[in-house]
Amino acid sequence: MQISEIILSSLLALIIGIFFLGLARKIMARIHWRYGPPITQPVIDIIRMFSQKGISHGSIFNFGLIFSLTGSFVVILFLPFGKMCPLSSGGLLVILYLMLLAPLGIALSSGEAANPNSSIGVSRKFLLALGYEVPLLLILLAVMTHYHTISLIEIVRIQANTGWSFGSLPLVLSGIAYFLILPAILGIRPFEISGAAQEISSGPKVEFGGKFLAFSTIQHALHEFIGISLFVNLFLGGWDLFGILEPISNTVWGIILGIIIFLIKMVIIFVIEIFINAVFPRFRIEQAMKYLWKWPTLLSFIGLLIVVLFN
Amino acid sequence: MDRNKICKWLKNPGKMAHKYSFHVVYFCTGCGIIEIPPFITARWDAERFGIIPVATPRQASLFLITGYVSTKTLKAIIRTYEQMPEPKYTVALGSCPINGGMYYDSYNTITSLDKYIPVDGYIAGCMPRPEAIFIGVTHLWKLIDMDKADGYQRYREDYVHYRANQEQLYGKMDWPPLFSEENI
Repeated sequence: MQISEIILSSLLALIIGIFFLGLARKIMARIHWRYGPPITQPVIDIIRMFSQKGISHGSIFNFGLIFSLTGSFVVILFLPFGKMCPLSSGGLLVILYLMLLAPLGIALSSGEAANPNSSIGVSRKFLLALGYEVPLLLILLAVMTHYHTISLIEIVRIQANTGWSFGSLPLVLSGIAYFLILPAILGIRPFEISGAAQEISSGPKVEFGGKFLAFSTIQHALHEFIGISLFVNLFLGGWDLFGILEPISNTVWGIILGIIIFLIKMVIIFVIEIFINAVFPRFRIEQAMKYLWKWPTLLSFIGLLIVVLFN
Repeated sequence: MDRNKICKWLKNPGKMAHKYSFHVVYFCTGCGIIEIPPFITARWDAERFGIIPVATPRQASLFLITGYVSTKTLKAIIRTYEQMPEPKYTVALGSCPINGGMYYDSYNTITSLDKYIPVDGYIAGCMPRPEAIFIGVTHLWKLIDMDKADGYQRYREDYVHYRANQEQLYGKMDWPPLFSEENI
């Protein structure tokens, strides 16, 4: 049972992540008043990349990419997917640790490639990670303190009984702060600093070609899935939709409908993020750090204070 | 998508994916680069054909050379072409890469690009309009279908010949040959 859950959730995450990439390109095209590519375009791209002959730059180059891909898959196993959660021990603390594996692997891989653009991209990626990790830590602390648990499944279950934490008074500031740092976690446009194509030739990906680029694209898709599904689980109640699944909550249909509700919430959040991506220009790295350490950190800190005082 | 296409996809997914996903490196030589921004942006929208520009040759599969090639830029063109992963396709725009065009008697311009790197197709004109680039791309689809867009294989097979032509122009070149005797 658990093995089938592991396979199913990682496969679904892969499909949803790649679907998100296609959806992003289509919506961006419609915003530009273009027709846009077919929604399956990332799949075609990935097939093409796998059939091209990539050039490896050494064993660390291969290892780092596999490391980041594995890190992303492992994080997905710890995230509740609707009602399905293959691994649950450790909860939010494990997720917080494992979320750093993906940029670390990409950094190892790009460092081996010895291209100046990729080293600039990696340093920017880590600076950005440093920028959003501080508010993210405060947000997770506030959530964990409010619900008296570190387990993400438990947090989702309590939200199904007492209402979404985005709507509850003590956690609303933390929710807003998470929404403000979400573009930085996804690496999209106000914070598309590390992968800036026009500025540093797409940053850490600059030496990836062929199957390496395909793996890096898949890793990017998984990373988008992780960032959004963490937000939906923490603040939008996971599979819960105002208690309509209450009568059938333990049947198979309840589980399937829970997954569908979860995915609809993710798509809504993702489309809002794409709108932000479409209208904003790119920050410089120091502007991004100034922003991330000012408003989201302030909001999440006040949110933490409110949670501590309320309890 | 019609049924015919589905059969093709199942038969040879790599080839079909090569047709419908071109990641393009534009080499900005001459006047042709002016035609590229309308080609990729909202006016003509190349992305509906799966064509998007990428920043580095490592990620690319199509190489567009847009205009005349001077002796100095040819060096960069050769290096860029050699860095692209195979299979790779080259398309040259305008009459200058074909036979020199209006620079036919210039001391500093290459008259025929095909002597130095293999070119899969030319789009003639001075300059071709963005619609002509679409027609060129659809012709390239046909060539890929018939396995005639084999420039990268020709480069591999006749590398000695191409390298000799390049060295005739530059004397000794400051990078080693791409293919040595054993990996041709």
